[in-house]
Amino acid sequence: MRRRSGVILAAIGLGLAGCGGEAKAPDGAWQSQMREVRMAVRGSEDDPMITRRLTAYKTYIGKATGLPVKLYESSDYNGTIQALSSGQVDIATMAGGGYANVDAQIGDLAQPILTVRQAEGDTGYYSGLLVMAESPYRTIQDLRGKTLGYVDFNSTSGYLFPRAVMREQGIDPDTFFGKSSFAGGHTQAVMALDNGQFDATIIQAGGGDPEHGFTTGAHYTMARRGVVELDDFRIIWTAGPIPNSAVVVRTDRPQPFVDAVRGAMAALPYDDPEVWRDIGQPDGAAYTAVTREHYAPIIKLRADDIAARRAGERR
Amino acid sequence: MKRLLLAAGAVLLSAAQAQAPVLPLRIADITGQAGPCAPPGADLPAAQRAYVELLAQRLDTDVLSCPVADAASAARALASGAVDLARLDGAAFGPVSGETRSILTTRATGDLNRLPVVVAVPRAASAQSLGDLAGASLVFAGAQKANLDVPRRALADYGAADAFFGAQIVARDHEDAATRLRAGQAQALVLHAGAWQKLCRGDQPGEDLCEDLRVVWRQRPVAKAAWAIRTDMSDDRRFRLIGIHVAMHNESPQAFAWAAGEGAAEFEPTEAKALLAQGPTVGS
Repeated sequence: MRRRSGVILAAIGLGLAGCGGEAKAPDGAWQSQMREVRMAVRGSEDDPMITRRLTAYKTYIGKATGLPVKLYESSDYNGTIQALSSGQVDIATMAGGGYANVDAQIGDLAQPILTVRQAEGDTGYYSGLLVMAESPYRTIQDLRGKTLGYVDFNSTSGYLFPRAVMREQGIDPDTFFGKSSFAGGHTQAVMALDNGQFDATIIQAGGGDPEHGFTTGAHYTMARRGVVELDDFRIIWTAGPIPNSAVVVRTDRPQPFVDAVRGAMAALPYDDPEVWRDIGQPDGAAYTAVTREHYAPIIKLRADDIAARRAGERR
Repeated sequence: MKRLLLAAGAVLLSAAQAQAPVLPLRIADITGQAGPCAPPGADLPAAQRAYVELLAQRLDTDVLSCPVADAASAARALASGAVDLARLDGAAFGPVSGETRSILTTRATGDLNRLPVVVAVPRAASAQSLGDLAGASLVFAGAQKANLDVPRRALADYGAADAFFGAQIVARDHEDAATRLRAGQAQALVLHAGAWQKLCRGDQPGEDLCEDLRVVWRQRPVAKAAWAIRTDMSDDRRFRLIGIHVAMHNESPQAFAWAAGEGAAEFEPTEAKALLAQGPTVGS
């Protein structure tokens, strides 16, 4: 019986192949190959509501691709990086530093396809050195010998980029500060600062610029949630702009999948502005297509950082 | 055995549904003279050939060029199912807006996204619509493109060019603009939607800093030209077309140069009715 079943299934397979007939892949063929879309999301982004809001996004992408969408939540940066690098997921949104790490691991097997262009035309954000408003620190120089909290080794704005800028400004971040450690996330970094564990912490700042001030970032989000008071903090130093986060896909997936998901995501602010807002994107912003070249400066920073660590040099 | 055959039948059925025949992509080509759809000829300019070949390769289908006399003919051909993709202007799109939709336009080099623009008045003001603001004084949120050029363009698209209003103030930023509105220095505030969002979002949960204001108008600028499809095109093909086009300036600059035209920086997706004013224009 088992043998006959095999014959029947083989016949079905032949029948399908015969139905196909032509050399061109039929519409829907790539969906059969993919069967589902697996997207990595950070489970502990600075606004926990984002994860819940991703449900609408998941529904949108599912409808657009005609495939079920599975979200893989990761509580840290490295989880997302490894999920994409290992092929456990097909697509992920990650900061430039995260993509640089993926690029270092799998090169052309991953490709950034989209980033956000803000209403004012910018495609970048900033690192901010955050201190308590009541503290005596006014400039970065005031923090010599003090404790500094970084976000995560894989954080672009919370580690990689500001350290490079500090070095450009003649500050060796490994010797200038008395002690530094990783908080594990932007929210955790702000909480640790608020609790007195650090004298200063590095956070992401967006929705503005150093001249006009910022409107987005972990401490803004936390203040809106009632967790902290915005007036309790001050930004005393900035670095940037840093290229905005990238939507990164695995290039060993069918090209029609890459095209369809890029098209669906790019169309989102126009097709469904409410979902666009629900996933935390500002009004007036939209996706724009990018390539690896857009992140080349970050890739170089990451490569330099990794090379220095491998050489045993503290940086 | 019976269950196995039933399952096999189900597999065949679902496979047949999934494997819909590959339809060619027929693109309207405004040449001044109508003609039958045909594969690109040998005399096709290299850039146009690059465009056709890119679409054919990425959609894995035949791409046919369909000569039409003008934009109105292209629109009719699109609506009737004779072509699948056509570049239209608002005049051509209007009569077929029920059967077709726009999917792509171009963003010119140095231009911004097609930003939604908001006009707000004090909650107690009598104005209920843009038309009620004839002769009203305005305050803009700055002299940058996003704060001045785009809002003015959007207002003009709806019949409310500069002359429609009274005095116009350009404030330092969105907060200064709101302060001036609240101080009675202007009767209406004009912001791009991102600035409005920043202005109104409070630092506390659920806080709305604009409770004393009321939005009377919110629109994007009207697209001057856009690529349109029939509304019955599958999501798969629609999103793949968008996905291919938005990356074309990076992936095939030659094809992009031909398809997007001079001065374009990239393709930009659009809402379905981007070629038409959404709601009344002033005086209509």
